[in-house]
Amino acid sequence: MTDESADTTTDGTAETGTADAETTETADEPATGGTGAADPALVVEDLTVAFGDLVAVDEVSFAVEPGTVTCLVGPNGSGKTTLIRAIADLVGADHGSVERPESATRPVGYLPQAPAFRPQFTVAETLQFYADLTGEDVDVDATVERVGLGGVPDRRAHALSGGMTRLLGIAQATVGDPPLVLLDEPSSGLDPMMTRHVSDVITDLAADAAVLVTSHDLTAVQRIADQVLVLDRGRIVAADSPAALMASTDTDDLESAMSELVASESGQVATRGGEVDE
Amino acid sequence: MSRARTALIVAQREFTTLLRTPTILVLALGFVVVVAGFVVAAGTGGYLPLILDLVAPMEILVPLLAFAFGYRAIQSDADRGELETIQTYPVSRLSFVGGVFLGRLAGLLPVVLVSLGLSAAAVVFAPGDAVSVVVRHGTVDAPVLFLRFVALTVLFTAVALAVAVAVSAAARSAREALAIAVVLVIALVLGFDATIVAALSGGLIGPDALGTLTALSPNSAYRGLVYTLAVGDVYTRSAPTPSLVAGVAGLTLWFVGALGVAVARVWRG
Repeated sequence: MTDESADTTTDGTAETGTADAETTETADEPATGGTGAADPALVVEDLTVAFGDLVAVDEVSFAVEPGTVTCLVGPNGSGKTTLIRAIADLVGADHGSVERPESATRPVGYLPQAPAFRPQFTVAETLQFYADLTGEDVDVDATVERVGLGGVPDRRAHALSGGMTRLLGIAQATVGDPPLVLLDEPSSGLDPMMTRHVSDVITDLAADAAVLVTSHDLTAVQRIADQVLVLDRGRIVAADSPAALMASTDTDDLESAMSELVASESGQVATRGGEVDE
Repeated sequence: MSRARTALIVAQREFTTLLRTPTILVLALGFVVVVAGFVVAAGTGGYLPLILDLVAPMEILVPLLAFAFGYRAIQSDADRGELETIQTYPVSRLSFVGGVFLGRLAGLLPVVLVSLGLSAAAVVFAPGDAVSVVVRHGTVDAPVLFLRFVALTVLFTAVALAVAVAVSAAARSAREALAIAVVLVIALVLGFDATIVAALSGGLIGPDALGTLTALSPNSAYRGLVYTLAVGDVYTRSAPTPSLVAGVAGLTLWFVGALGVAVARVWRG
């Protein structure tokens, strides 16, 4: 099991290197997105998370800068969700550190992979509950409008479509203006139009915060990401901008680039332990 | 923001959830009807008979209702993944569990109080029974005795709900929560007393130990306190009951222990 005494901190400051647009960074040094002009909103160093003998996240290091979108991609079972949950402090780290912003009332906003809310409450009531928890004066109407749910503020959660529920989840993730927003597969299972809308919302969020997104939608990732972290069997095998990743792999799109970068074979699923199941 | 303020926000969410859950409303109505049925069946001869008629049903019905109100309170949030979302807000485990408990109690207590209030009204207003609300049988059958019974039942309700909330925090799935809840209700209603009787008949414990051992079960402690404080000498001379201190200590330990388990298990610290 996890060791809760691991060196996971919430200290606000960190020093990391800046992004090199020409070079694909590796796990040997922390990768950073954006221009490197500001202190990172998130610094992960040598983070390891294991479940017994299964190492889900293996000595991962990277940084995320404010005002950028960083996308975490990789095959199923590569450790994306575990990594994002460790960053949100929802799962204990066995080794390494996570430095998150400390100044905010709510340092980290989080959208789980399958968001769901109490069916008895409306969209506005749900967000008002979370707003109240921050203790700050939150404009719930503006939050609802921002994600495009302005037409259904009084609709109860049980009556929302899957896409609307995810939008409500994204709205919830932004309540309290956290400087770091973590979104776990925000467009999973959505139709193309809703996926496009979610991508636009994520881009909009990056105006005020650093956004870290896990996704299998590589078309959307190519469009919105400032930095892409390719995770395979718990390790970051590549980290750079979409253009740099395609250039380094001599491919035309991110999907082809990822195929080149990820060792997993087609039709097989990488497990948390790093082994491959048929 | 203070812990108390956070707990109130959570409590308000729990209370509203209860009000908007049809199943809970049906159960609440059913509880009132069943209690009224016991009163009608037993007659409305006075407060003391009413207490004696209600104490056994309350021992069964209150835990049932409390578990219905609370056994999924936290577990449903965990099931949906909303509990993890809540952890990303400035909410302590104590505030959250305290809020859940208070909100559910705010919905549960009125149901219990209304049913007991209707029972008392039946004694006062039942046709043919010329019951004085001041005194009927000297110092024995007075409304104050019924008020003591109500107060003790409120205490028992809070303890039963605390246990239900603990189950809700500890269970990993709805099915597990239901299974634990069923086992605990059976243990509370039958198991503890049956174990004591078995130990007594087997010679493992002597009659002198009954006063203390019966306080270990919340049901027995509640029953003993009712007999001691609300019924008095009429009953307690003929049956072993826990002492006042042991009964209060037993209920307090269950209350604090259950909420302590809930705080410890709701999420990792």
